[in-house]
This record gives sequence, structure tokens and C-alpha cells, in this order.
Amino acid sequence: MLTLALDIATTAAILFIVSAGLLIVFGVMKIINFAHGALITAGAYAALVGMRLGLPAWMAPFLAFMVGGLLGMAIESVVVRRLYRRPLDAILATWGLGIVLGQAVIVGFGREVQFVAAPVAGTIGLGGTDYSLYRLLLVAAALAIGIGFTFVLNGTRLGLSTRAVILNETLAEGLGINAVFVRFLTFGIGSGLGAAAGALITPLASVDPNMGIPWLINAFMLVMVSGSALSTLAVACLVLGGMQVVISTFVSPILGGLAIAVLAAIALRLRPEGFARA
Amino acid sequence: MPDLLTPRRRIALAALAAGLLVVVAPWIVDTYTASILARAFFVAIAALTVDVLWGYSGVLTFGQSAFFGIGAYALAMTFTHVGFDAGGIALAFGLAVIVAGLVAALVGWLSFYHGSTPLYASVVSLVLPIVLVQLIYAGGETTGSSSGLVGFQTFDLDLETWFRLAGLATVAVAAAGYLLLHSDAGRILAALRDNEARCSYIGINVERLRLGILVVCAIVAALAGLGHAALGGVAAPENASFVFGTQLVIMVALGGRGTLLGAVLGALGIELASAYLSGSLPFIWELIVGIAFVAVIVLFPAGLIGALRRLIPGDRADAAPRLQTAAPLPRADRDMMVEARGVTRQFGSLAVLNGVSFSARRGELVSLVGPNGAGKTTLIRCLADGLERTGGEISIVGRPIGRLPPHRLVAFGLGRKFQAASVFNTLTVADCLRIARSRRDPMSWFDRSPVLSLPQAARQVIEGGGLGDRLGDVAGDLSHGLKQALELAMVLALEPDVVLLDEPTAGLTRAERSAFGAILTDLVRREGLCVLLVEHDLDFVREISSRIIVLHQGQIALDGTVEQVVNAPLVHEIYTGGHVPTAETAS
Repeated sequence: MLTLALDIATTAAILFIVSAGLLIVFGVMKIINFAHGALITAGAYAALVGMRLGLPAWMAPFLAFMVGGLLGMAIESVVVRRLYRRPLDAILATWGLGIVLGQAVIVGFGREVQFVAAPVAGTIGLGGTDYSLYRLLLVAAALAIGIGFTFVLNGTRLGLSTRAVILNETLAEGLGINAVFVRFLTFGIGSGLGAAAGALITPLASVDPNMGIPWLINAFMLVMVSGSALSTLAVACLVLGGMQVVISTFVSPILGGLAIAVLAAIALRLRPEGFARA
Repeated sequence: MPDLLTPRRRIALAALAAGLLVVVAPWIVDTYTASILARAFFVAIAALTVDVLWGYSGVLTFGQSAFFGIGAYALAMTFTHVGFDAGGIALAFGLAVIVAGLVAALVGWLSFYHGSTPLYASVVSLVLPIVLVQLIYAGGETTGSSSGLVGFQTFDLDLETWFRLAGLATVAVAAAGYLLLHSDAGRILAALRDNEARCSYIGINVERLRLGILVVCAIVAALAGLGHAALGGVAAPENASFVFGTQLVIMVALGGRGTLLGAVLGALGIELASAYLSGSLPFIWELIVGIAFVAVIVLFPAGLIGALRRLIPGDRADAAPRLQTAAPLPRADRDMMVEARGVTRQFGSLAVLNGVSFSARRGELVSLVGPNGAGKTTLIRCLADGLERTGGEISIVGRPIGRLPPHRLVAFGLGRKFQAASVFNTLTVADCLRIARSRRDPMSWFDRSPVLSLPQAARQVIEGGGLGDRLGDVAGDLSHGLKQALELAMVLALEPDVVLLDEPTAGLTRAERSAFGAILTDLVRREGLCVLLVEHDLDFVREISSRIIVLHQGQIALDGTVEQVVNAPLVHEIYTGGHVPTAETAS
């Protein structure tokens, strides 16, 4: 029972880490970044490179954040900037960029599956069961991301500008806020978060050029259900991630793997506006 | 001799030429190329369905691969487990059609509902192949799991025959699609893409139409998948995957969306090039496709065909149809046109309308006035859409509207003109009007009619408003005033008993405005229409109204003749705010 609760908490944390960047971009720009999956992959490979260079393992997510952030800013300024008025085309163009990024990774690193070591190994005894220390660490990472961004949005000048752009972009521009710059930065940060997520999850799984796609789909569905608030994203990750764990454990792992996508689609059918105001 | 080359003859000639090419090609190209192209033809048919859904009707779908996979697995599973005989063949076809149709109906029901967004349909189309592939993985022996089904007995045809079969099927699907989509009725798909709300308020059941299109496209894609599996002797999870679904979209985007020909060229080109190049340039090739795809989406959204069209300008405009006056419908012999009792609209705890009751009769022109936020537009919305209000009863021409959606209320005799001119931007003026007439004059799925029948009133607006000689022009290119006139003519083409107009004169010049006023008063007097008008310009209201209703803070503050309202002190208080103590504190 305790293991199940820990599984749910850590799964939700992982989902939150993976989705947060996508949600931030969607919240501010109303654009779905389908390159998010490839950015997760890029982050994982950044962690791999960091390990090969002999950098300490705790630096991997930060290195990945830098790589992803730079990639994101390049993507925003070259492609996404031209597509704000064509949201469906923005999905397609970012998906195409994801393909480009994925193929570039293959050219650079090959197709084979590789592994990255976790910064902390082993298990910890909790109430009679042993549980992976690294998975628990990810809960802390998720909390740090959630609290950090809530602070940035509510406590800084950049956050104020961002919220102004979310609420009313035209008015914000009229008040002298550089909406173009806010979007540029947001896309960079969202992309950086995606890559950092890739670096954070690699010790749990292997690294391969297509690893980002399943994560992208779950993150996309979670963001669709959540609307544009980090708090609702946390709830969605707990509820849908929880369902995934429960169904995987008691029914079948295959159905569990589908739980998020199917349940989110049904939830959206019943409540099209999402759960942002629930 | 442009008269000899009607669009239908042109497409027939093109299809004939393409068919001939397909028949001759196996003698010219080498065996390897022929085998690649034979398979690519089936992929091209699936790409055609993506183009119909995305390019024509505006629903971006990643899920057509799922139907392709259903067809492939219907054949592979039947031939593996039931056997390859006459019964097995019939069963394979039957399963492909029925399963694809049922799944499409389910997906359509999920995707398309009153108020659904195009993005949601894309979400569902993304989930479908993912679910299907997981089911295939979980199917064990039945589906062959991750390695798919191979080694079953299948049709023993030589490559040349397969090539011609698949090629002719592609030409037939493309030509039939072209005829259907460019017929009068086929323009409705473009209308759906341009402006779904306008379609509902013309009386088209948008959800059912979209569902129907999806079912047809699903069945065609499933048959393509069946052909692909029969030719290759294999059904693999990749055939149904989300990645293949996105590849179909890429093919259509590169070739040119909304052209059909672009889908075929995109599919054949990519399949052929990747067969040749993925050997010599294994990963670079996909990198190139990715870069080309991004570049096309950003820089040339119309794709290859669109770029070619821009280089070779030609006269593609259809001849504008001749106008005719439709025989007038017998009017309902009721006097009471609109009755609202206690209509309430709440958003959470905020009541935008609070117990609004009024009625309007035949031959009345009732203006709804009031300050911003009084609830005027909300009231119009509640009258035109049974799902909008949260309380109260409304009857239109004596029939209670219940919770009926807008397209059903059109049949009650209701027409609604939106605040911003709402027309079909990529269609011609004539097509806009013809679609508006679709409830009265069923449109052909095979042909374009040389005449356009309009009721007298709509014809007057068209000819009097300066649109008479612009029937062949694209509606999106019209000036603001002409768009407003076109939308009004579209509403009148429905031959409504009740017309709702939301600020129809906003943004019009003074001359356009008085012309508009004259048309309205004429309609009311001669045709006995009942017009409800939301308007800010009190002078205009005073000139044309037979009665004025003043809304204030979600309630009816006054309901009376022009004199009664214009001279009422309450109106001055509401508008200037100065004399009412509560209003002062409120502002």
C-alpha cells in the first residue's frame, strides 16, 4: 500500500517535471510545442555528454536546461514567431522541428540505446519497504520547479509582465511590455525545462533518439486538461498519473500506459474548457 | 473555347491522362521503382483522405493511419486465421469497412459536438492510433504483436497488375474526390473550414456533417490499408502508428493542402525519394524531409501545388451563376413571432440576464438598446441557441426552443446576423449564397448549377447593395460594407420569419447605413418580417424602429414606442449616468 502511494507520488512528480515546460509555453503563447518531445531527448543526450565529460551527475539537469533553452530560443526566433496566428500550423512546424532534432541526435550519437547513471543510487527504507532514492528525489525536484515558477510568476517583474501578456497581450504591449521578448524568453524557459526533464528522467530509463515521443503525448494530454495553471497541472498529474499507476498495477501495464491519453480525452469531452477553474 | 472545357470535362480529361500514364508506366520504369510506387499509391489514397479532412474541411488529423491499419489488419488477420478463400476475402473487406466505419463514428462522436474546438479533434485523432497500436501489441498471436502478421496467403498477382490496380484506384479516388468537393454541395466542406458558426446558423448540422465526412474518409483509408497489406503480404504496427499518421500530414503539407493532387504528389514523391535516399543517406534524408516540412509550413503553407499556381497564373474562376427569384414560401399565419419569459443567463454567480420577458410580433422592428454590458448580445445569443440560457422559456414562431442547438432553430424560421460580418472567406459570393440556400434548394454532389435562386428580399440586397456583378468574387476580398450586405443576404436567403441583427451598421459609412435602414424597414413592411436589432446609434434606431426595448444591467428597463422611450427620463439617466445615485456609485 505504501509502495503504491509512493509510486503514485513519484509518477505524478515525473509527469509534472515533463509537462511543466509545455504548459508554460501553452499558457503564455497559446501554442503547443510539439518539439517538446525532441527537447526531452536532447536533454537526455546532454546528460549523456555531461557524464562522458566527467561532469558531476547533479550538473546534468542544469547543463540540459542550458542546451534546451538555447535550442528553444533559436526555434522561437526562427520559426514559431511567424506562426502565432496559425496555431494548428505551429503544432505541425514544431513537430517537424522535433523530427529534425531527433535525426540530428541520430546523426551525432547513433540509434543505439545508451544509459546514464543516477546521481544517487540505491534505495531507502521507508515504513518497512525499500524505495528508490532517486525517484523520491524527483518529487523534490518537481516541488522545486512548481514553487520556483510560482515565485517567478508572482514575485518578479518578469512574472508580472508574463501574466500581463497572458491576460491581454494587446493591452500589455500598449503599456510598454515587450510581448515579443516575453514570448521569446518563455519559449526558451519552457524548452529548457523540457530538456532538464529529459536529463532528470534518464537515470530511470534508457536514452534513445525516440524516447521523447511517449512523454510528449502524455505531457500534451495533461496540458490540454490543465489549461494554463501549474496548480491544475499538479492535480492532473496526481489524478491521471495515479490512475495510470493503479491500472498498471491491478489491471494491465498496457492499459495503464494508455490511461492518461484516453482519460484525458474523455475528460475534455465532458468538460471542454479543461479543469483550470475547477 | 472555354465553354467546351467545363471543370467537369477538364477533370475527366486529367483523370484519363493520369489513368493512361498508370497503365503505360510499368513498361517504362524498372521493377524496383514499380514496386515502390505500387505501395506508394495506397499511401497516396490515405493521404487523400487526410487532405479532405485537413486541407478541405479544416480538421488537422494524425489519426488516418489508424484506419489504414484497421484495413491492413482486417485483411492480415482474416487471411491468417480464417483463410484465403472467397468467404475470407469478403470477410476481410466487410471487416475493414465496418470496423473502420464504427471506429470513425465513435471518434467523430467524441471529436465533434456543439462547441468543440478543432484542437480537440486533433487531440482525439492523436490518441486513436496510440490506443490501436497498444491493442496490436497486446494482441499476441491474434495480431502478431510487435512483429506484425506476415506469411499469410494473399492475392497472387504480378507486380504490373498490382501497379495498375493501385494506380487506377488512386486516380479514381482523386477524381471522384475532386468532383464531389468541387460540386455545389462539396463547397460546404470549405464553408465548415472557413466558418463553422455561420454554418450552424444557416441550419447545417455541423457535427453530423463532420462525422459523416470522417466516416467516409475512414472507410477509404481502411480500404487503402487493406490493399497495402494485400500487396505487401504484411501488416505491421507501424502501418497504424501515430508516426505514420504524421507522415501522411507531412506528405499533404509538402504537396499542397486542399488540392488533392498535392496529396498524391506528396505521397508518391516522399515514398519514392525515401526508398532511394534512405539507403545512401540513411538519417540525413529524414533530416531533409523535416527541414523541408518546417520550411513549407512556415513559408509556403500552400505547398508545392500552391507555389506552382502562383508561378502559372491561370483563369480558374468558375463562371458566376445567373440569379433567379425563388418562389416565395407560404408564411406561417401566426402573429406572435418571439416570446421570451423570464430569460436568465448566468456565468457563475454573475447574472448577465436576469428575468427578461418580452414579445415581438410580425411586422415589428424592435431595437434593443442599452449601455455596454447591459446584456444585449447575450440576449440575442439566448434567442438563437437553446443551449445558451440558464433559465426561462423562449418561443420562436410559436414553438418553444427548449435546449435545441442553432441549426435546429433555423428550421423554426430564425435567422441571425453576427456583429462582425460572418461569411465564408474563401468561397465566392455565389457559393456563400448557395450554401445559405441549402436548406431550401438541395445542392448537387456532382455538378455546379448555372443558376442561383434567391428569394426576392435577398436578391434585392445583393443587387441593390452592389454585389450583383460580383457573384464570382471571393467573399474574403470584399469591403467591410459589402461583407455585411452579403451576410444579410445570406440570412434572408433562409427566408426567415424572425431576423436577429447584432449591430449590423457598426463600421458602415453614413450612406451605407441609411441604405441598410431602408432595406430593413422595407422588409418589415412588405414581407412582414419580425426584426430584432441591437444598436448603439440612437438616431438610427429612432428612424427605423417600430418599438424600442431598453436593457439595463440584465433587465428590461423600458419597453415602448419610439416616442415613449426617447423621451423617457430613465433613458437619459442610464446613458448619461449622472442623475441616478446608484449609477454614480457603481461607476
